[in-house]
Amino acid sequence: MKESKIIGLKANELEKACERTAAAIPSEKVDQWEVFAAREVENEIEVFNGDIESLSFSDSTGIGIRVFRDHSVGYAYTAVMERGAIIDAIENAVANSKVTGKDPLKYLPAEGDSSIDEGRLKTGDLFDRSFLDVSIKDKIKMTLELESVTKKFDKRITAVTNLGYGDALSEVCILNSNGFSGSYATTISMVYLSAISRDGDDVSTGGYFGIARNPLFINIMEVAKKAAERSLAILGGKKIKSGRMNIVMDPLVSAQFMGVIASALDADSVQKGKSLFRGRKGQKLFEIDIDVFDDGTLPEGLASRPFDDEGVARGKTTVFKKGVLQTYLYDTYTARKDNTVSTGNAARASYRSTPGVGVSNFYIGPGRNDPADLIKNAGRGLYIMDIIGLGSGTNPISGHMSVGAKGLMIENGELTRPVREVTVASDILSFLSGFRMLGNDLKFMPSGGYMGSPSILIENIAVSGK
Amino acid sequence: MIDKSLAIKILDVLNSPGASFSEIYIQKSISNSIKLEDGKIENSNSGFDSGCGLRMWKGESTFYGYVDSIEEKRLIEAAGILSAAGKSSGRGSVLDLNKDIAASRSAYDVAVREYPSKTQTASKKKILMDIDGICRHFDKRIIQVTAGISDVEQEIYTVNSFGKSSYQEAVKVFLSVNTVAKKDGEIRTGYKSLAGTAGFEILDMQSCRMAAEQAAEIAVTMLDAVDAPSGELPVVIGPAFGGVIFHEACGHGLEADAVLKDATVFKDSTGKKIASAAVTAIDDSTIPYHWGSYKFDGEGIPSQKTVLIREGILESFIYDLRTSLKMGREPTGNGRRQSFRHIPIPRMSNTYIAPAGNKKEDLISSVRKGIYAKEFAGGQVDPATGDFVFGISEGYLIEGGRITRPIKGATLIGNGPEILKKIEAVADDLDFAPGFCGKQGQSVSNEVGQPTIKVSSITVGGTG
Repeated sequence: MKESKIIGLKANELEKACERTAAAIPSEKVDQWEVFAAREVENEIEVFNGDIESLSFSDSTGIGIRVFRDHSVGYAYTAVMERGAIIDAIENAVANSKVTGKDPLKYLPAEGDSSIDEGRLKTGDLFDRSFLDVSIKDKIKMTLELESVTKKFDKRITAVTNLGYGDALSEVCILNSNGFSGSYATTISMVYLSAISRDGDDVSTGGYFGIARNPLFINIMEVAKKAAERSLAILGGKKIKSGRMNIVMDPLVSAQFMGVIASALDADSVQKGKSLFRGRKGQKLFEIDIDVFDDGTLPEGLASRPFDDEGVARGKTTVFKKGVLQTYLYDTYTARKDNTVSTGNAARASYRSTPGVGVSNFYIGPGRNDPADLIKNAGRGLYIMDIIGLGSGTNPISGHMSVGAKGLMIENGELTRPVREVTVASDILSFLSGFRMLGNDLKFMPSGGYMGSPSILIENIAVSGK
Repeated sequence: MIDKSLAIKILDVLNSPGASFSEIYIQKSISNSIKLEDGKIENSNSGFDSGCGLRMWKGESTFYGYVDSIEEKRLIEAAGILSAAGKSSGRGSVLDLNKDIAASRSAYDVAVREYPSKTQTASKKKILMDIDGICRHFDKRIIQVTAGISDVEQEIYTVNSFGKSSYQEAVKVFLSVNTVAKKDGEIRTGYKSLAGTAGFEILDMQSCRMAAEQAAEIAVTMLDAVDAPSGELPVVIGPAFGGVIFHEACGHGLEADAVLKDATVFKDSTGKKIASAAVTAIDDSTIPYHWGSYKFDGEGIPSQKTVLIREGILESFIYDLRTSLKMGREPTGNGRRQSFRHIPIPRMSNTYIAPAGNKKEDLISSVRKGIYAKEFAGGQVDPATGDFVFGISEGYLIEGGRITRPIKGATLIGNGPEILKKIEAVADDLDFAPGFCGKQGQSVSNEVGQPTIKVSSITVGGTG
C-alpha cells in the first residue's frame, strides 16, 4: 500500500477549509462564530488464526460550525467539504441559534476566561514523525505476532478474540471570530486482545492492550504475556459467599472507576444538580491524603492537547489535594457561571458534536507501597482483576454503584483461589472514604478520557455471591 | 445513488486482486438533535453525512475502506488502495463479475407520516418544553429534567459482485427523558425513552406525556428506596426493558462471528436444549415501525424474522453474509453496521422472548422473598464465558408474594447457559423497549422485549 503518500499532513488544507468556511458566514446574521475542522486517518487490522481477518483504512475530514446570536448558540456540521454543503451547514447553525435558550454567559472564550499558561507541550510530544514511516506490512506482521505469541504462552490458551491493531493520525484546526487560530496533530497506535483459556468446563478471558505514539514503541511480548496471565489467573473461578470484606483493585480496574468519578466532577453536571459532588467543594472525601489530577499536558497522555476543544490552553488541575475536593472541571461557559476561570476542559466527541465539559488525563497520584503490601494488609478479602457492567451499574448522580467482578480471594494476606460471578456494591462517597492504601503502580487506560490509577486497598465493601 | 456503470467500474477494480466478493455501500444522512435542560433548550445541532464504504474479500481476509464523499474520483482512488492491499496479500482467482445487477426486494414496506425534514425545530422545542413542564408538575421534588430528541433521514444503497443491489430510505426518531429527584440528602434518577423507525407521528402528545410521567415517577418512587439485598434470590423481571436479560445472557452469544471464533458458550449447541421449555426467543427486524427494524440490513439482505430458540431448543444463530457463507447457512438479515464508516457484523435487531400463558400477578405471588425488577440501566456480557450483568434502575422487594418497598439500584450477575435454564415461567404481557447496543466500537439501534418472566435464582448485587 502506498499509504505514506496518502497520509501526509494536511494542516494547511484544514486551515484553508476553516478560512473558506469563516468567509461564508454572514456577519450580519451572527454576533460570533467558531469553525472546528478535524481530520482522521485511521488504519485497523484484525487477525484470526494466523490470517488477516480484516484490514480497514479511512481518511476523513469534517467541519463543525458554532454561531452565537443574541446570546443563543446554534450548531451544525458537515462531513462533506463541498461549498454547497458548507453553506447549508452555516444556514442550519444560524437557524438552530433561533430555538436555543438565551443566556448572557454564552459567548466565545474571551480575555479573563482562563489563567493557564500556554506552551507546556511541545509539538513533538503528541506527534511522532516516524509514525508515517511504518508500513502496513509491518503493522500486519506485528498483529499476527501478537496472536501467535499469546497462543504459545500456555497450552490452556485455546483462542484469542478481539485481537487487533488500530492507529490514527488526527489533525484539528480551530478558528474563531475573537481572533483565535490554532492547529495541532497527534498520532496514536494501539493493540488490544482478549485471551481465552480453558481447562475442562472452565473458561476464562483476560484482556490487555498497548498504546504508544508509534507502533514500534509497543512491547508485543509484554502485552501478550499480560493478557494470557490475566486470563489464566482467574481460570476455574467460583462464586463465594456474600459478605462485607476488604477489596484490592488492580490499576486497570481502579482506573475504570476513576472514569465514573471524573464524569461527576464536570461542572455542568454539578451546576445542574446531576452530580453527587454538588456542594462538596472543600470537603475531605477521602480519609487518607490522596491527590487527584486532571492534566491535559502530560506528554504521554492520550488526551493531551495544546488547547481544548474551544481553543483554551490545556493545563494541570489539582482536583483533590490531600483528600479534599478543590475544584470541578470547567469550560469557559460553566466557569463564568461559578465566577471562576476555565480549567481547559472543553471537549467534544468529534466535529459532529457541540462542545461541553470533558476530562483529559485524569489520575490518582501514586502511593509508595508495593502492590503486594496492599494484599498483605487486606488480610481477608477480594483482589479484583476484571469488572463488567460499569456503565449500567454506576450512577454518578445518585452515587449508587454495583458492578460484576472477577479476581482472586485474599486469605491471610495472600492471593488464593479464583473467584467469579460476584458483585461489589457501595455508594460512591462511602467507597471513596474507604480508600486505605495506594500502590506505586500507576497505570493509564482509555476509559472515557484517559484514566490513571495505582492499585488501591478499600475497606469494608459489600460483595454478593451465593 | 450512483451510476450503474460507475458501480461496475468500482467493483471491477475491487475484484482485480482475485476477490471472492466486493461491495459498495452508499449512505446519505441528515441528522438533527435538540436537547433541553434546566428548563431551556441547551443546544440544537444539525448535520449532513454522505459517504461510501467499500469492501472486498480475498481468501480469509476482509479489506475495507471508506470515504466521506461519493465523488467518482475519490471512490476510484479508494478502490485502488483496497485493491493494492489485496494484491499484496497473495494470489486469488479472478471473480467473474455478474454485470446483470438485480434490485433486491423486501417485504418490509411502511409509510412515514411526518418526516423530520418537514418538522419545524420550533415544534420539537415545544414537545421538549411540554415534557419539562409535565415532569416538574408531576412532583415538586423533581429538580432537573433533561430531554432530547434526535432524528435522522437516510438513503442507503448497496451493490455487490453477486449482482445484487438494494435501496432503502429510513427515518428514525428517538426521544429520551431523564429526571432527577431530591429529598433531603437523597438524589435519585428516572429515565424513559420513546423511539421508532418512523417519523414524528410517534411523538404524539399522549405518548410524550406518558414517557414524561413515567420518568418522573421512577425518580420520585426511588427516593424511598431501601438497600437492595445481597445473594441468590428468585427474581421476577418486568416486560419491555426486562428483555435486556435475554439480550445479554444469550443474544450476543448467538451472533455467528463469536461462534466462528470459538468465543461463545453456545458454539456446539444447535438442536440442543439450552433453555427451559418456557423459552421461545425471536429476532425480528420486520416488526413495522419498531426501533430495530429495517427494510434491508447493512449488506442489502432483506429483513426477516428468525426463531432463535423454540421451547428451549436452539434453532438458529444470528448471521451476516460472511458468517452464513462460511457456516453453510442462509443469511438471517442481521449484517448490520453503524454507518458507511463501519464493517457489517452480525447484530441483533428486535430480539424478544415470546409470550406464554401465565399472568404477571401469579409470577409475583409465587415468590416468598425476592426481587421484582422493572426498569434497567443496560447490561454487558462476556460471550466467551457467558458471564453477564444487567443493572436494575427501578426495582422492588417481593415479600410474601407481594411487591413491597422500592430498592436502590443494583446489578444482577449470572451465567447465560445457567440462567436460561432457570427461566421458570413466562407471562402474556409482551412489550418492547428501544435502546442502543455497542459491539466492537459500533453502536446500532436495538430493541429488547419480553413479557414478565420469573427466574428461580440469580445473584443480586446489593449492599443489604
